[in-house]
Amino acid sequence: MSFLALLGLSVVTLRHHKSRSFLTTLGIIIGVMTVITILSLLEGLNRKIQEEFSSLGSSTIYIQKMEWQVGPGQHRLDFEELRKRPNFTVEDAEALAKLPSIEAAVPSIGKGVGTIKRLGNEAQNCQLKGTAEGGDLTGNWVVDQGRFITREDRLHRRLVCVIGSYIAENLFGAENPLGQTLDVDGHRYFVVGVLEEKGAMFGQTQDNVIIIPVSTYLKYNPLPRGWRAIWGGLSIEALPKPGVVLEKAMEDVEELLRLRRGLRYDQDNDFGLNTQQMIMTALQGITSTLWIVMVGIAAISLIVGGIGIMNIMLVSVAERTREIGIRKAVGARDRDIMIQFLMEAVVLALLGGLIGIIVGIGIARLVSVLVKFLDAASPWWTIALGFGFSAAVGIFFGIYPAQKASKLNPIDAIRYE
Amino acid sequence: MAGKIRRPPGKKSKGPDVEPLIRLQGLSKTYDGGPVAVEALKEINLEIYEGGYVAIMGPSGSGKSTLMHILGCLDVPTYGEYFLKGQEISRYDSDQLARVRNREVGFVFQQYNLLPRLTAAQNVELPLLYSSVPIDRRKEIVAEMLAKVGLVDRGHHRPNELSGGESQRIAIARGLANDPAILLADEPTGNLDTKTEEEIMALLDELNEQGRTVIVVTHDDTVAKHARRTLHLLDGRIV
Repeated sequence: MSFLALLGLSVVTLRHHKSRSFLTTLGIIIGVMTVITILSLLEGLNRKIQEEFSSLGSSTIYIQKMEWQVGPGQHRLDFEELRKRPNFTVEDAEALAKLPSIEAAVPSIGKGVGTIKRLGNEAQNCQLKGTAEGGDLTGNWVVDQGRFITREDRLHRRLVCVIGSYIAENLFGAENPLGQTLDVDGHRYFVVGVLEEKGAMFGQTQDNVIIIPVSTYLKYNPLPRGWRAIWGGLSIEALPKPGVVLEKAMEDVEELLRLRRGLRYDQDNDFGLNTQQMIMTALQGITSTLWIVMVGIAAISLIVGGIGIMNIMLVSVAERTREIGIRKAVGARDRDIMIQFLMEAVVLALLGGLIGIIVGIGIARLVSVLVKFLDAASPWWTIALGFGFSAAVGIFFGIYPAQKASKLNPIDAIRYE
Repeated sequence: MAGKIRRPPGKKSKGPDVEPLIRLQGLSKTYDGGPVAVEALKEINLEIYEGGYVAIMGPSGSGKSTLMHILGCLDVPTYGEYFLKGQEISRYDSDQLARVRNREVGFVFQQYNLLPRLTAAQNVELPLLYSSVPIDRRKEIVAEMLAKVGLVDRGHHRPNELSGGESQRIAIARGLANDPAILLADEPTGNLDTKTEEEIMALLDELNEQGRTVIVVTHDDTVAKHARRTLHLLDGRIV
């Protein structure tokens, strides 16, 4: 019998038992739905992570007192030791900037300044950031109007600022902010530049910054002391030269810092080198753990679904013993009967797979509507995976009943009542 | 239909130069299933020529059903040889037997054995599907067969919408679809009233007159009278 004829036959037979067929495929539907939903969400999450990190300037090295504690696993932190670590200095940054593998190295410090008001307008939750020339490179900022902080600004501790797009919109509106003044933290700054919009990261905007020369910042803000200095002190942002591998640049930075701090070969680093790569790796570690859990759940429900299909196919073989006998009497070979029943099982499973894929994508879409920063992505391979799995389940669990049908003795089968 | 042997006109006796359509030699069938082995057929020797019209009669348990199953390649003998068109098919494997059932044998059963979910036309088409006849040719043959049994307008009906006589005609049409050498009918009129029985037997007579070899298994003398040759079976032997 031709493939199409067999397919038609399966569809006719399954339509004859609509509710039974549907209930049988529920296991497959749930299994495939789980796979598709979670895969779509994970894929969406992964893409989002990549996208957001790329907006940060993903190869910048953040040189701080301690390493970021990311990912699973508990780290025991020795706060006494951390507290005693020396502060970074502007001179450290200048030295690092001279490394051949480093494009730019700038000191960086910042704090929240809350709501800023100007002529009845206000901008909420603003961040004041002190940095130096080159900070636009390490922070991946693009200047939209005016200029960034310059060496002269830093050396003369000028009261100038470069503002994020959110601040420009909210405080200046249609007005051109360049040349205007802005009062922050009791001081009046001239706006010399406006930054291009950078967008939100995990729902948090990055366009609420007011960037001023680091020297100006340090003049009015004493360096924090004690444990606050672990995170609140001066840090350095360093950007590797284009074409330089991140790891190589990090090695150079580490070597130079150890030298400047006079660390002996048997002493551990008293600083931390952080990159966004670390966060990405950690997050991807989490998503891959979720992936494994999901595969486990899906595998169980697909096995349960497969057993359901096997069960109903055995019932079907018993019910249709006479049909099998008649088909054999008019010339069906064992393998014709086998293929007919196998086809039915596969069609049943694929039907479940199809419904599962549709419902799964639907749920993933719904979740991304409800959760703002999560966009579900259902690439073609998740759909192929759904179909592939359900076909495999149909074949695997359909073989035994089909084999049983094909081995029926035609005489006994034809006499079966 | 290779090796189609026409009997020379006027020559009625079985000559050594003519190969019979069916030849059974020392054919036995033993069922070993139960505590006692049952010998259903014992040393059957039988020759049936092309164009023959044979009735096999006998009380129940005489082995006539077993003989019919072996003739129709639904079962294989325990001992002995079965030649069909000169081919020894008693040792064929299940695929080869399926092919013989498909091409060389048309079955007609007492209970019609039509597939209830298919239409009459689809039932007639069934043997053609298993011999991979292309779709256009299938439709032609189905129409031709329905015409042959006089049911052209009933093709789209399902078996539960057909009368007993109509169902049996459809079963005959199905049996003829692949132009088989033998039409094997097992109590073809067992479920029918006398008038319908006459119609069905008339159809079988007509098919035989057109040259088809017809073998009817029955315990009914009026049916057997239609055949030109009657075999009586008793305790697994031809008497």
